Amino acid sequence: MKAWLVIGFMSAIVFMNRYVFLEPRLPLRLGRNLRDFLGFAVPGLLTAICAPIVFLPDHQLDLSPTNPYLLAGVFAVAIMLWKKSVLMTLITSMAVFYLLRWLL
Amino acid sequence: MFAGAAQIVAIGMLKGGASVLSILLTVLLLTSQHLLYGLHMRAHISPMSARWRVGMGFLLTDELFALTSHLGPRNFDRWYALGVGLTFYLLWNLFTFAGIMLGSNIPGLANLGLDFSIAATFIALIVPNVKNLPTVICVIVSLLASVLLSYFQVEGALILSGLAGMTAGFVCKRYREICT
Repeated sequence: MKAWLVIGFMSAIVFMNRYVFLEPRLPLRLGRNLRDFLGFAVPGLLTAICAPIVFLPDHQLDLSPTNPYLLAGVFAVAIMLWKKSVLMTLITSMAVFYLLRWLL
Repeated sequence: MFAGAAQIVAIGMLKGGASVLSILLTVLLLTSQHLLYGLHMRAHISPMSARWRVGMGFLLTDELFALTSHLGPRNFDRWYALGVGLTFYLLWNLFTFAGIMLGSNIPGLANLGLDFSIAATFIALIVPNVKNLPTVICVIVSLLASVLLSYFQVEGALILSGLAGMTAGFVCKRYREICT
């Protein structure tokens, strides 16, 4: 029940976010401050989501060099900076992740 | 429903027993970049008919924006955008369905380390955004805050650290503007 409620409201929120500025009858624009603030939404929020996966596997802080999530995560950053390809980053960092898990 | 990151986060929060309000607030913030996409695409899409606008509004994901945002008014082809958008939507649903089927049939799926694929995807999406000092600050603050808050199992850790990062980036940006 709760899940369906969340799904329903989520669909509405996501659609409204995307649609509201496509509506030609809407005259207002976002202020400069809000626009600049929202500009940090992607790096800020996505980082907040993936940092615990990388640093806290199994809900335990693991900064050791034998944490495959951490090592493969660093590798993913490096390969993305170097090759600038999302697909290649995904494939190679997953491969490195499973290799490390098997080795360590 | 067509929002990958928001759906994944919502599932995680539902499992963690978060309240409906905190989930919806997280989703609102997490998908707020679409406000900017809408604003950017307004010139192309708002003159279209209502049917096209609603369709494009539904399909306007990070990925579709990434593929079409650089196109000028002359080069923007609505049929190309529709084709790309529908392809993404079809594949998204197909693989979600496959995931549901496989998820209940493969034992120990949770221990396969598939959660790293989420981290890898997000890393790949974050890195191209980090182009200047304010975004570097934003990412560092967000990272430290989310690791710290998650470690102490603070309720709403994701949203709080996301906002902290966004605020830090914003303040840094304004500060640099004042100084230069």
